[in-house]
Amino acid sequence: MKIIASALALGLAGVASIPAARADGETIAIFTKNQTNPYFQTVRVGADVAAKSLNAKTLHYIPTKPDSIPEQLSQIEDVIVKKPSAIVFIPVDYKAMVPGAEKINAAGIPMVNVTDRSAGGKFSAFVGADDYSLGLETARHLLKTLGGKGKIVIIEGVKGSLTNVDRVRGFNDALKENSGAKLVASQPANYQRLAALQVMENLMQSNSEIDGVLAANDAMAVGAIEALDGANRKALVVGINGTKEAIDAIKSGKMLASGDYNGFVQGCLGTMIAIRDLRKQPIVSDIVLAPTVITKDNYKPYDVALETRACPTWEEGSKMGIKK
Amino acid sequence: MTDTTKILPGRAGGLHISADVLQLAYRLLAALLICVLLSLLTDSFLSLNNILNVLRQASLMFFVAAGLTLVVLTAGLDLSIGANVGLTACLAGTVIHVTGSPTLGVLVGIGVGAVIGLANGIMVTALRIPSFIATYGMLWILQGVAYWYMAGETIHGFPPAFRQLGSGYFLGLPIPVYLLVIFLAIGTVLAQRTTWGQEIYAIGANPVAARLSGIPVAARLLLVYTVSGTMAGLASIIFLARLNSAEADIGESLTLPAIASVLIGGTSLFGGVGTVFGTFIGALILTLVLNGMNLLQISASWQPLVTGAIVILAVWLDRMTRRRAF
Amino acid sequence: MPEIALTAPMARIRRIPGVAMMLIALVAGFAATSPGFLTVPNLSNVLVQSTVLLLLALPMTLIIMTEGLDLSMGAVLTLTSLVVALVTLATGSVLLGLLAACAVGTLFGIMNGWLVAILGIPPFVATLGTLGMAQGLSLIVSDGQSVVGMPVAIQKIYSGMLAAVPLPILMAIAAYAAFHLLLYYTRLGTFVFALGGNRDALRFAGVKVERMLIVVYAIGGAMAGLAGVLMTARMNAGHPTAGLGLEFDAIAAVAVGGTSFERGNGWLLGTLLGVLTVGVLRNGLNLLAIPSSVQVSCVGVLVIMALFFDGLRSRT
Repeated sequence: MKIIASALALGLAGVASIPAARADGETIAIFTKNQTNPYFQTVRVGADVAAKSLNAKTLHYIPTKPDSIPEQLSQIEDVIVKKPSAIVFIPVDYKAMVPGAEKINAAGIPMVNVTDRSAGGKFSAFVGADDYSLGLETARHLLKTLGGKGKIVIIEGVKGSLTNVDRVRGFNDALKENSGAKLVASQPANYQRLAALQVMENLMQSNSEIDGVLAANDAMAVGAIEALDGANRKALVVGINGTKEAIDAIKSGKMLASGDYNGFVQGCLGTMIAIRDLRKQPIVSDIVLAPTVITKDNYKPYDVALETRACPTWEEGSKMGIKK
Repeated sequence: MTDTTKILPGRAGGLHISADVLQLAYRLLAALLICVLLSLLTDSFLSLNNILNVLRQASLMFFVAAGLTLVVLTAGLDLSIGANVGLTACLAGTVIHVTGSPTLGVLVGIGVGAVIGLANGIMVTALRIPSFIATYGMLWILQGVAYWYMAGETIHGFPPAFRQLGSGYFLGLPIPVYLLVIFLAIGTVLAQRTTWGQEIYAIGANPVAARLSGIPVAARLLLVYTVSGTMAGLASIIFLARLNSAEADIGESLTLPAIASVLIGGTSLFGGVGTVFGTFIGALILTLVLNGMNLLQISASWQPLVTGAIVILAVWLDRMTRRRAF
Repeated sequence: MPEIALTAPMARIRRIPGVAMMLIALVAGFAATSPGFLTVPNLSNVLVQSTVLLLLALPMTLIIMTEGLDLSMGAVLTLTSLVVALVTLATGSVLLGLLAACAVGTLFGIMNGWLVAILGIPPFVATLGTLGMAQGLSLIVSDGQSVVGMPVAIQKIYSGMLAAVPLPILMAIAAYAAFHLLLYYTRLGTFVFALGGNRDALRFAGVKVERMLIVVYAIGGAMAGLAGVLMTARMNAGHPTAGLGLEFDAIAAVAVGGTSFERGNGWLLGTLLGVLTVGVLRNGLNLLAIPSSVQVSCVGVLVIMALFFDGLRSRT
């Protein structure tokens, strides 16, 4: 038994020495919410690509229980011991993670906030998208295609999540602009495909006519499309995220459009800012990406495998924010 | 062993209904009552489409819970079925994509599920680890492998013929319902009419007596866990077909409803009591309630509460009525 | 024959519990591969991070010894973390929030005990039901959002220090001492040990079995309440999903620590070691920046290995 225990220790030592150490690279710790939502994978890939191009190293911290607040708090405490050069931070919950952000501040590690704007803590920059205007523009596109009228269904994401609150608000405001459009139902499906499929199936029972579906993310949009297909019904469906699956669905005509919530670019820019800040290069402290709606007309630049994408250059990236 | 699927004439000349049949009858009645209630509360319940949807959703829940029933009959537990479905779906999905052959994917799915089940069985029998812990540890291991393998991506887009398995119709009924009937038949025959089945009940009721009477307990337990894993593997194929995609976390939300279905269906955690058909009714009841809540636009926040209450109610009623069965 | 074998060196090693060996192996391994591991700040972190789990695992040990299980602890913790946040917000008093949280927790514990002892529902089922109730109430009461805005003082419960020792560690020590006394020096403790053996014999001996079972589960609920307060202090917020799933971690820690599900023998120190083992594992893996997916599998392997070693030992 002792032999096995020592083998375990040796094994751990072996694994620890595997990542190739960059001789002169900064270490950037990247915090994301979970391993399951493809969006965060795009952020991580963006961060890795940016770091590699700038000769720095990334370490990823993801809670083993998806979206676990106590785990992310523990990971922050553990990371402080490791003293990375900088941190790129997506809080699991934008309110409850404030003490964690404050801990990082107290430890003197510079931080860039990405995607979910934290309700507290000091950050050298924020990179995100404007969920509200994304929801608004995507919904507007759907309503325009419908001619401004029809029966609409909203499929919401995770209830307390900041992205959800803003996107749904955008949806609702777009609906208010169109008096001919009627909201017949608004139900949450937790940003998950299976849940959205079942919710959509049930909604189709209580509503014989549905002309448009506003889904707060692509996974749910695709779930809704599957439900519609299964019942041989048609409706225009939009989502948000711009995932590969959504692009494929737009290409084939199954999905109308997807709001471009560009995780890859957010990961790129967030990491680039963190590294530039360490190297005392000029940065932009607030980049809110302009809303782009991906449709059949403009999907081509998005239809590219994630690994082969390159980050925008700093000149391009620093100008990507909406001028307020 | 009592033949639990027939109504036997009693000694006094009256009808003697066995306890298990009575329990199933109560549950069918409960399901019926729920249907009546829902059709009164909302117009959309009794539509053909909705009923078919409910049947389809209940079938999927049943596939995950069917193998679990056998495990619980031996007084064990398999907490890893959800993660099993998740990982197996991802692997089978990859195979279908890479080879273009759904048949191969199905074989891989069943195979992987069986291997996982076998591993669980070995931990419980040879390594003598309590099933709760062994399958809980396996849950984490499978989840980790699934996360690592998928790396946050999804596999999507399967051949339309394959997708029929999950979302298609045949003669007006969803295809999963036919599969449901087949598995219900196989499961019931296996459990009630074969020696294996009798032995499983015996092991659950009294493991010591079972071993003393010559039943190869370890071999039967291995079988039961392997079957549970295989059924999970099969369920994963149907989920793949229905969702038209595979993600690492499909299985996370499946384990507790599966356990709830087994419990609502009248299978006792102490082993030796329960039926596969009961699990189906349990899955049906659960699906009906969730469907009703969706149709009535009741906030999803109430779902865990309602599910918990139903489970307790079902088990309590079970205890009350079983005491008066004879 | 066994007596002679026990004096041999291998047998002496066999007497060291599996969990202690795992803990030692992990500490040694991490110390060797992570320069920051064996430092005071880091070890202090590990202890503080493990407090919440310990507060759940201690009563869980007792419950498992009565051949029971409490699956609702994580959900009750979550609910009480919201209760303390909401009550403190409404009344401005952290103390009232604390009392309310413990009251709600105890209430759920009593409900669990009532379902198990009086209605005779298997603990797995009963606590699964109350898990649903607590989880549902958490979502409804908070509408899915974090609850923030409490007086800053509440954070001190988690981050405060007394004589240079973090408060949570003191809480953990106090809790452990209390449970040690409870288990080994009170009638309730004797009952808990005895219950693992033969419930009917106890009843014939005149022990109010039902009442004592309810007390055991009520203690579990109260501790979940306390853990909820600690959680809210840590997050400076109440959140409707914060503690979900922690009961499984607690059960794993208890099982890793050597308390058996079937034989009713329990070992409180083993639970403490089990909690520390889980905490050290996670901390060490984080320090090594091991990918999260591998971490997930490691926890599973740990749990299985610990019980495998225990199984081997009990066969000598």
